Amino acid sequence: MVVTREEVKHLGWLAKLEMSDAELQRYTAQIEEIISYLNMLDTIPLEQVKPIAMKKKFSELRKDAPENFEDAVLGTRYRKDGFVKGPRMV
Amino acid sequence: MPLPLYTLEAGQVVEGIKNREFSAEEYISQLLGRIEKVEPKVNAFVTLNKEEGLNRARMLDKKIRDGEQSGPLAGVALSIKDNICTKGMKTTCASKMLESYIPAYDATVIKRLMSAGAIIIGKANLDEFAMGSTTEFSRHGPTRNPWDISRVSGGSSGGSAASVAALECTASLGSDTGGSVRCPASFCSVVGLKPTYGLVSRFGLVSYANSLEQIGPVGRTVSDVVSILNVIAGSDENDHTTINSNKPTYSLQERKGLRAGLVMEFTEGADPGVSKMIYNAADTLEKQGCKCEEVSLPSVQYALASYYTIATAEASSNLARYDNIRYGFDMNPEGYEWNSYFAKARSNFGEEAKRRIIVGSYVLSSGYYGKYYLKAHQVRSLLKHEMETLFKRYDVLIGPTMPILPFKIGERIDDPLKMYLVDIDTVVANLTGMPAISVPAGFADGLPVGLQIMADQFAEQTMLDIAYLFEQAAKVQRSSEL
Repeated sequence: MVVTREEVKHLGWLAKLEMSDAELQRYTAQIEEIISYLNMLDTIPLEQVKPIAMKKKFSELRKDAPENFEDAVLGTRYRKDGFVKGPRMV
Repeated sequence: MPLPLYTLEAGQVVEGIKNREFSAEEYISQLLGRIEKVEPKVNAFVTLNKEEGLNRARMLDKKIRDGEQSGPLAGVALSIKDNICTKGMKTTCASKMLESYIPAYDATVIKRLMSAGAIIIGKANLDEFAMGSTTEFSRHGPTRNPWDISRVSGGSSGGSAASVAALECTASLGSDTGGSVRCPASFCSVVGLKPTYGLVSRFGLVSYANSLEQIGPVGRTVSDVVSILNVIAGSDENDHTTINSNKPTYSLQERKGLRAGLVMEFTEGADPGVSKMIYNAADTLEKQGCKCEEVSLPSVQYALASYYTIATAEASSNLARYDNIRYGFDMNPEGYEWNSYFAKARSNFGEEAKRRIIVGSYVLSSGYYGKYYLKAHQVRSLLKHEMETLFKRYDVLIGPTMPILPFKIGERIDDPLKMYLVDIDTVVANLTGMPAISVPAGFADGLPVGLQIMADQFAEQTMLDIAYLFEQAAKVQRSSEL
C-alpha cells in the first residue's frame, strides 16, 4: 500500500482539514492512485539535470510596504473594540 | 436585418462606438439581454455587473460626445474569471471559503483594461480556485458547453470561454496554470492564449501555483485576443516575476514560410477524431506556405507527474492562508479552540481543492522532497531544454490542445487521475514558461477541436502569426446556436 488511511488523516490534521470517515476513505483510495502515478518521477535517471531555479535576488524585490485598506472591506461581522475576533488560542 | 450588436468583434465594437454608429449603452444593453436569454442554459457567470456596467457605458458615451479620448478597448465588454480581483466586486474563486470576499483593490490587469475603456460585464465561473479541467468543481454548478449543453465547457476558465462562445461578452480574461485558458477555449471553439511566464502581471490573481500560472485572454478571434494582450502585457512593480522590458505591441501579420513541428507524442495520444483534425490543420498550414514536420518531445511522458507535483505542492501552501477569520463565510469563532475552528472552517473547501491540498502536503512531506518535488523540477528543466533545442529548428510547435473531445458532464468527476490525464498537452507550456495559444481547428462528431500552437519564450508574435494565418485559412464557425 503506497498511501495509508492514517497518513491521509495525519496530513489532513497538518493541513487543518476536518474530514468525515467517508471522505477519508474516498480520499485515501484516490490519493493512493495519484501518488502511485507521481511515483514515476522516481524512476527517471536525472542525476545530471539541474532543476530550474529562480534567478531574482531578494534585494531586487519591491519594498514590502504596508498599505491601509478601509476597515469596511473586511468581510467578517465578528468584531470587538475595533479588532477582528478569532478563536481562542488554548 | 443587421447582425445583433452582441455578435461583433472587439475591433468592430470600438470603431462602432467611436464613430457613433451605436452607443456603448446600446451595446451593453443588448449583451445583458443576450445574457438573460442564454445564461440559464450555459451558467457562465458567478456575478453580473449590470448597473455598474451600464453606468460605465453611459460615461463612455458622454466622453465620446464630448470629443475626449476613448481608449483602445472603448466599450469592449469583458467577463473576468472570478479569481482575478476586482475592487468592490465579489471575487469568490467559486469557493465557499471566499463567498463574501470583496477585494479592496483591482488586479493590475483590471486597472489596465479599465483605463483602456473596457467594461466588466461580470465575473466568470471556474473550478474552485482554478483547480480542475471542466468547471464542474465550482460551487455554483458546472458551466455547460454552448455547443452541447450536456457536455463540459472545459476548465478551469470554463465560464470565460463559454461566455465568449455564447456571445455573452466581447471577450474574457482567464488564468492558465496547466491549460486553464486553452482547455476551455478548445472545448468551446474560441481562441485562448497563455502568455510567456512573466509577460503579464499576476498581481491580484488569487494564487494557485505561482510558478506556473499566467493570466490570459479569451476571444472569438485572434484579433480580439491580440487587442487585449496589447493592453495587459508589460512589467509591473507589484509582480517581480514580470520581465523588465519595454511594453511589447503585437500585430496581425501575414507571414509565410514559417516552420512548424508537429509533436507526435501529442497526436499519438489523442482520440482518432482529434488527431485527424490536427493533421488536417497541418495540411492547411502547408497549403499556406508553412513547412510542417513531425517532431518528438520524449520527456513529455513525465510532464503530467511533474506538473501535478509542483501544482499541488504550491497549492497546498497557497491555500494554507484561508482561515475564515477576516473574510469568508459566516462562522462565529466564539467557543472554538484555534485548531478546531480552522479544521472545521477549512472543511468547506470543495473536494478537488481538499484533494490537492493533501497531495501537495504529501509530496512536500519530510523525506519525500528528493523523490517528488526536486525530481519534478528536474523534469521541468529537461523539458525546457528539449523545447529550446526544437525551437532552434522550428518557429512553433503544434498539436491538439486537448487529446479528447468535450465529454459529458459528470463523466469523469469521480476519477481524479483520469481527469488529470486530459491536461497532458497543455501542461508543457506552463512547466517551461513558454507561450501557447488554442485556435479553433474545426469539429469532430459535431464537437470542437482546438489546435495548440506553442512558441519559444517571448515569441508571442511568431505564435500569433501562425495562429492568424491558420484562422484566416481554416474559417471555422465562430458561435454556437443557443
